[in-house]
Amino acid sequence: MYCFGCKKRHYPGMEEVKKMIDRKKVIEEMSKIAASPNEDGIIDGFNVLVNQLPSDFWNEFNERISTKVKPDLRKQAEYLLYNCARECGYNTGYGIITSKEWKAIVGPMVGNTEDVLYGAFAVFTAWGWAKSEIVHLEPGKKMIVKAYDYYESDVVKHGISPKLSAYMIAGVCAAFMDLAYGGDYPKGFNKFKCEQVRGIECGDEYGEFVVTPI
Amino acid sequence: MSKDIQVGNNIIELEHSFDRKTCRHSISGFQSVLHCHHYMTLTTQMAEDADDLCQGTEVLISTMENTAYKVLSKICNENNIKDIEDKINVAEELFCRIWALGKIKFIHLGDFSATIDVLHSHIDEGWTKKWKKRDKPVGYINRGFIQGALAVINNVPAGSFETQESECIVSGAKKGIIRAWKR
Repeated sequence: MYCFGCKKRHYPGMEEVKKMIDRKKVIEEMSKIAASPNEDGIIDGFNVLVNQLPSDFWNEFNERISTKVKPDLRKQAEYLLYNCARECGYNTGYGIITSKEWKAIVGPMVGNTEDVLYGAFAVFTAWGWAKSEIVHLEPGKKMIVKAYDYYESDVVKHGISPKLSAYMIAGVCAAFMDLAYGGDYPKGFNKFKCEQVRGIECGDEYGEFVVTPI
Repeated sequence: MSKDIQVGNNIIELEHSFDRKTCRHSISGFQSVLHCHHYMTLTTQMAEDADDLCQGTEVLISTMENTAYKVLSKICNENNIKDIEDKINVAEELFCRIWALGKIKFIHLGDFSATIDVLHSHIDEGWTKKWKKRDKPVGYINRGFIQGALAVINNVPAGSFETQESECIVSGAKKGIIRAWKR
């Protein structure tokens, strides 16, 4: 990923990175950005067309599809759901980190590649995808993300689900690592994979996502 | 924050809030989330691929039908909207100005049938942007929205209408046409 601050790639320690991004400020500012469609009902922003649907729609579709398929095909169906988010996260993520809003709000805090990654998860949180943050990062090798509140866990109203359901978060985590360490956009896609290992929907306190190279 | 829609001479304010504790957005009481055309087109493609496995496109249509029905019912009930023209107005505005799915126009509507023009479509235009044009329609989500809206407008349960897309923007038509009829 291109570093806007120093105009090159480099990998400082995590502690240094954490001090650079004011996560609270990014969430506060980016959550105020209102996505308004033009008169044709189209939002053309961040290099993509954007829609703004109730999260129930995405949850209902994902849950019906992943539950309705025969058990021996469930993993395949879940991979497709994860892959939808991975491509979305890669393309929209790139649009976000090259947008004027990013440059205005997050840009001044960015000094290196890891700052961009930490900043991206602050935006991810601000836009309501998941209240999430990076808790461990080995640049180019491994990232662990925790999500403390996310809409994909709403599929459970009582008890605990037998399956982890945060396909969107998992896909976006892999995509953000692709953007950071996969190589220049758009050739850096599909270099990392993500596995969800904990989920609120399964009774855990938080969702946990582990990203490693493919 | 609020998002306004005009219904006749009245303005309805749909409250848009951000909960700082959970970091969730909601519009008119429904949690909402921004997603892009990549997510929408890939989800649609996946639904088609899953047709043999689990009737994927039917699941996609009925999921949007359920969503549109719930949201439109709530908006109409809370704002005491009963007139058919006003309900149509709310449906067109929700599709266009809140959900950013494009622009639709109800051309005719009765108890048993309806015709809707799709003047702009997020899914058609997103599909074309991502993969270029194709002969087969892609507007399952638009059809679901219209099925849900027709149920609310006609005061019948969700699932009462079915639809077909006879013209579509993704195939090169200037506008899409969706026909609906009561089951």
